[in-house]
This record gives sequence, C-alpha cells and structure tokens, in this order.
Amino acid sequence: MMRTIEVFLVIVIITGAFIIASFYAVLPVPRRVSPLNLRRLALTTLQVLDSDYSLSEIVFKNPEDPDYESSWKQLQVALSALLPPNIVYNMSVYIVRKEGGEELYTPLRFISNAESLGIQSEAASYLVASSNVTFRFVPQKIGDVGGVGGTLYILNCSDARGWWITGYTAHTLAQDLYNLLSPYFQKTIMVQNTTQLAKILNGTSLQGETVQGAIIINTFGEAVPIPAGYYATQGYDPQAQSYAKYCHILGQKVRTYNFTWVSIVGYPLYYVSNINLFPNNHNTWGIYGMRDVGPAGLNAFLRGLDGKSYSYDNNWITSSVGVVQLSSEAIYYCNYYGIYPYPRQTATRALPADILTTYNLPESRVVYIFNKVYKNNNWWIPGAIFRHVAAGDNKITGSFFALGLTRTPDIRLTALGLLCAFRPRLYRSVYTATDATRLVVLQLGQVGGV
Amino acid sequence: MAGSTIDHLIAMTVFLGAILIFVGLFNQTIQTAILYQRNKYIATKCSDLLDNILLNPGIPTNWGRSNVIPTSFGLQDPEFTQYRLSPFSLLRLVSASGTPVTYPKLGLVCSNTTIGFGNFLLVPYTKAINYSLATRLLGVNGSYGFQLTITPIVTVSITKVGSNPVTLSVNVKGAGFPLSNAVVSYCLIIVKPTGGEGQYPSFTTNYGTAYTNAEGSAILSFSTINEAQDSYVLIVYVHHGGLIGTGYYEHILNKENYIVPFIYDFGNEGGQVLLAHSWDVHGGDHPAAITYNATFVILTEDFTLREMPLGAGRVGLLNYGNDPHTYEIITIPTYNPGILVVTYRKSANPKDSGVVLMPWGISSLAFPVVFGEDPSSKTWVATDIRQVLVGNVAYQAKLALWSLEGYQVIG
Repeated sequence: MMRTIEVFLVIVIITGAFIIASFYAVLPVPRRVSPLNLRRLALTTLQVLDSDYSLSEIVFKNPEDPDYESSWKQLQVALSALLPPNIVYNMSVYIVRKEGGEELYTPLRFISNAESLGIQSEAASYLVASSNVTFRFVPQKIGDVGGVGGTLYILNCSDARGWWITGYTAHTLAQDLYNLLSPYFQKTIMVQNTTQLAKILNGTSLQGETVQGAIIINTFGEAVPIPAGYYATQGYDPQAQSYAKYCHILGQKVRTYNFTWVSIVGYPLYYVSNINLFPNNHNTWGIYGMRDVGPAGLNAFLRGLDGKSYSYDNNWITSSVGVVQLSSEAIYYCNYYGIYPYPRQTATRALPADILTTYNLPESRVVYIFNKVYKNNNWWIPGAIFRHVAAGDNKITGSFFALGLTRTPDIRLTALGLLCAFRPRLYRSVYTATDATRLVVLQLGQVGGV
Repeated sequence: MAGSTIDHLIAMTVFLGAILIFVGLFNQTIQTAILYQRNKYIATKCSDLLDNILLNPGIPTNWGRSNVIPTSFGLQDPEFTQYRLSPFSLLRLVSASGTPVTYPKLGLVCSNTTIGFGNFLLVPYTKAINYSLATRLLGVNGSYGFQLTITPIVTVSITKVGSNPVTLSVNVKGAGFPLSNAVVSYCLIIVKPTGGEGQYPSFTTNYGTAYTNAEGSAILSFSTINEAQDSYVLIVYVHHGGLIGTGYYEHILNKENYIVPFIYDFGNEGGQVLLAHSWDVHGGDHPAAITYNATFVILTEDFTLREMPLGAGRVGLLNYGNDPHTYEIITIPTYNPGILVVTYRKSANPKDSGVVLMPWGISSLAFPVVFGEDPSSKTWVATDIRQVLVGNVAYQAKLALWSLEGYQVIG
C-alpha cells in the first residue's frame, strides 16, 4: 500500500511540475511568431512616397506657403492610401541641425491615424535633402600630375562634315563633350576649323596651351577633317588615289606629340572631310565635301603611330561582334564619375587583338572600356585605349582610343573612356549647408487579429 | 508477502502509466514550441526571400528584355536601385491566375493574365519563367513553396453614369483610403464608323486632365461619342504624391470577331506581338474578316500619353480558319512600358468595331501578377509585404511562403 501511495505522491509532484512548466511555457501569439516586417514596410512606403520627390517637397515646404497645410493633408491621404487598413502609423518629421559638431533633431510635424500603435511597433527612418542643396565636387585637372595631357582639343571644324553620327552634328557632340569633360582638363579648346587643326598638328598652340600630350577628340565619326595645304598635298597617295597617307601623317603626329587620338564611333579614319577641298566629291553615300579612304586610313594611321613607313593597305581589319559589355573597370568608374551609359552596346567595328603585337601597343598598357570578345578564332576589342610603346622602350609615345560601336554614338562612352584612362580624382566639397536635411520617421503598428 | 507483491505491481503499473502520460504531455509542449520556432524561422525566411527577389535583378540583369532563361532569379529593374521592379521581368512570369490560352496555328500555348474582355496579356510558355524554375534558381526547390503576388496599390475603377453625353465616373482608391485631389490624366480613343468595305479602322484620340474630389471620384463627360456607332476606350493615369495608378474603360460594339494579341518574341531592340483573329483562338459564331489599326502609346514624364509609330504590319486585314492570312506579327521598337492599342472593325461593316489593349510592361495597365502555387491548402503560411514601384506605378509585393518538409508533431 505504501508503494501505491508513494507512486501517487510522485504523480502529484510530476503533475505540479507539468502545470508550473505549462504556466511559464506560454506560446506567443501567431502575430509574434510570424510577424510582418513592419520596418521594411515602413521604409518602402517612404521610398514610394518620395519616388518623385513629393515627400521631400512637402517636408521642406515653407510654412508661409498658402499650400502648406493642404500639402501635409495630401501627404496624409497618400500615406493612408498606401498602407493596408489594419496598419496604423505615426509619421514624425525632424529638422536636422548641426551645432558645435553635434546633430540636433528638432520636431517639425507629426502625422498619425491612431492614438496608440498597439503593443508592438516598428519604425524606419529616411533622410531627405532639400532640393535647394546641390552637391559639389572639385575634380583634379588631368595633367596636374606628371604634366602630361592637360589640354583637350575637341574637333568642331565648321569646314568639315561627319559620318555615322546620325541624328547629331559634330558641333552638338562637341558642345556636349565640352560640358562633360572640360572640368577635368586644364584647358579645353574647340578646334573651329581645319586651319586650326593644321596648327596643332604642327605643334603650335592656339591659346597658349600645352600641345604635347594633348587629347584630340574627333567628333566627326568615321570621317576626319583634313586641312588644306601641306596635309592635303603630302597626305595624298597619287598611286592609290587615296588620302590614306594623311592618316599616316596623323599617326606620326600622334607619336611625335604624344597625343591621344579619339575616335568616337565606327571605323576610324574611314573618310577625310573638307568642304572647301572636296566640294564636288562625296563619300559614296551622297555626303559632299568628303572623300572615301576606306580601311586603308586606319592601317596607315597605325603604321604612322608605330613609326613604320607608309604603304597602302586597304584590308578591312574590324569585325562585327554584336552586343558587348562594359568592362568591370569602366563600370566602376561609371559610379565614380556619375556617368551612366547603357552597359551593353552593339559593336560592329571591333579591332582585332593582333594589332597589339603588330603595332607595339602592349596589352599591359591597354585600358579596356568594353570587354574583349572571342569570335571566329580571334580576340576582338570593341572599345579600348591603346598606348604605343616603341620596341625596347618603356615610354608611351602616342595613344589611340577607338570605340568600334555602331551608330549612333553615345558621347558619354567617350567621356567615360578618357576618364578611365586618366583617372582624375574628385575632391568632394565639404557639406556645410545648414537646415538642408530632414529626418522622416515612420512608425507602424498592427491592429486587429491575433 | 502476497499483499506487498500486489502493492508493488499496482504501484509499478500506475507509475509506468503515469510516466508515459507525462512524457507524452511534456513532449507535446516541446514539439509545439519547436514548431513555433520553426514557424518563426519561416517568417524570417519569407522576409529574406522577398528581399532577395525584389532587390536583385537576376542574371543576366536584362533577362526580362530578352528570350534568355535566367541563371539567377530576381525582379529588380537593372536600371534602378532599391525596390523598383522591372515591368518586363514580371511580364515573363507564368501567371497562376488565368487559364492557359492556345493558338493552334502556330502551336503557341500561353500564360494568361487577361483581365476581362479586351485587355489581353498572353505570353508563350516557351518564353515565360515557370514556378518550378524559379524555385530552383532561388534555392528553395523541395524545401519551401511560395506565391508572389504583385498588386497595384492604387485602384482606378471607371463606371458609366450617363449615356447622352457619355459620362464616366473615375473612382480612385488606395489600399486603405480614397485618393482625393489626385490628378487624373486620360486618353480617349474613339473608333469612328467611317470608310468602305475593307478599309482599316480610323480612330481619334483626345487627351485631358481632371482632379478627383474628396471621395476620390472624377466625372468625365464626352459629347463627341455616339455609343450606337462608336467603340471607344478610355485610359486613365492617376497621380498623387508619388503614387501612380492606372485604369481603363472600354465600350465595344463587336465582340464576335476581334483581335487577340500574343507576345511572340522578346528581341534585343524591342518585342514582337502576334495579332490573331479571335475565331482561331476562342471560336464563336458568325466569323468574319476584320481589319485592324495598331498603335502604341507610352506614358510620358508629365503623365500624358504619347503615340509612338509602329512599323510594318501596323494596319492589315485578318481572316480566320484556313485562309492564308490569319495572323500578323508587328514589332514594338522599344522597351519603354506602354500600351498596344489595336482598333478593329468587321471588314464589311465599319459600325462593327472594337478596340483591344495589351500592356507592354506589366505596369502600363497596372496588371496584377500572381506567380507560384496556391497557398490556400497549406498548413502554416508566413506572409510579408513591401511597397514597390514598377515602371513608376505603385504596387504592393506580397510573398506567401510555406515549408514543404511537413509539420507533424510526434507524440
């Protein structure tokens, strides 16, 4: 009998233990087990409200503005419309001020649709900047370091015509390039006619700038302006009846003055253009003032760049490789310089990789703007800056930037390529504006249900 | 001695019985606690997975704008950051809501997101991303099931409140509140009953703006519409403090013979749309040849609609059955979201006209997207939501997630 009593005592003890354990082992309500991520919901709600800067506009509205009160009401309507009916909110806006190195948050306004947010709520904060604040930076000038490349020449010759710049004129492209790139150079000069082009090819400065190491952007697409006089006479190959020899001289000049020659689209140096020199000639497509040089122009240029003697070679060397991708380096600099061309482009005039060895353009010095492509048992380079280093030397003697993309040109790619090559630093300006930032805090809670 | 033995036996039996019962009871509590823990984990997983889908464009990043099968799944618009989704990636998801539609002439079987008559969105399965592939790419195949629902936050419903003149009431609501004082931009396309037999339908377009009142309604009146002779469609965009919504209303005279647009291809520079005769898709009575006139409109930054010219095949005649010319393929030369508007009429009678719409990019007509399995019969479903933008239109993305590994409690 004692044993049975003992067992019952044990049962009573275990029952007590179970009851006590059950009392403390309270399972949470389903809402706590499987909660909505209210913090994320709050953040995404604020982002949607500010998607067209409406939130920033209201938050920074002047209280003297007659629409001030109605704007806040509109914000509340939009907020209520965005959130599900079972979500209650409390939105607080604070003015952020810096005083003596400390940030002070002064309440500006509250919006709420409930007295209480329940037992559990989450909040997200969002900083908005005033539209009156502009972000400024000071770029390092190319040429400050090493003293090379401080001058940018943009060909804007009024006596030449372009090809494959469909939809633009060389002059509009030149203006856009000026706006994009001039902050990065010590001097940016628009070359207004072929006479001025002849001067810089002779090493003569136009406005007291440094010619050595300059960059020359040819905005005329597949055509290149040709000056009359020496360059037209010496640049003509009577045997081949071609101006390919002018391109050879160009290559030599690039080498002599350590220029960077920039071709913005298509097959480089495919035509030469001077409307006074060729008033009755057209480029076989009906554009007068232009002569067809064909692939011989690029071949001659590369020979000139490499110090080889002129010979007429009309072999087509580029390939149509289709869609190409910006290189990782170029994508990095897109973010650094804030230039965002579309990362995938169509290349129909990619240069073959074998020019690197043929013309002493070492791969270690090449800056790829687009990834090279393997096609038909060969590597092709859709867009890159090639630097010439003579055999047995270590010094750069001329550079060539070719973007072998199809028309129409995107000059942001040209700008990006040059910035990738020279990498000027950006010195961000110190942010000293006062009362330019406001903090919006959106706190959400749930009502109803369990 | 015998009494002691009996006492011992009874005590042991009762003790063992009690132990078994208590083990069961404690086990139950522990199992339930483990189950709750697991459910909490599912909720966390749900939130993570939703962010993973919404904050990642997938690989390749532009898979929504091409025919390629992605090697990583994500819906973010590659040209933006944060919670902005690609209207074209969403277009390529197999819809879980509609019944598949077949076009036997070309062997197309299509995912169907059609909303009512005249608002078609049909994407061939060969071009669409199915649920099974998505689970594999997300790494939840066999472990979790999900349903992703993308629904527009702003609901724009349009009802007719008068016929002479035609008066339409535009009602705008958000998720929990009517939108007062919102800007309503509209485009009215009227198919005119002009031209002789075999002529292509002609149409006129009217643009305008209005504002909603305190109840979120705006009344639009059109005296130029003759409902007995004109088919028309009203496309409305509503804009209010960062929120954009869209809606439409159609008045169709000819519902027996009409155009069915199928998305046919996602090319590099734009998409191809196949226009088919309705009899070859849905059958019906009194089949007849129809002529059509297709146009493409896009929403500009000032919330007005602008027409974009289409190329070859823009106008044409479609027959049915065994006739050699029963479909046409037209090209939309852009990946800007817009609306393909196809006006049509019976070839023999200009008064038997109509108009159908197809969104190019899910956002242009604020079509919802339902992708994945039905969660209604699942044991424990965790949900999470985010506010997102799809082509500037405000949507709510909701993910329902459940475990496929069972929930049985032992004991």
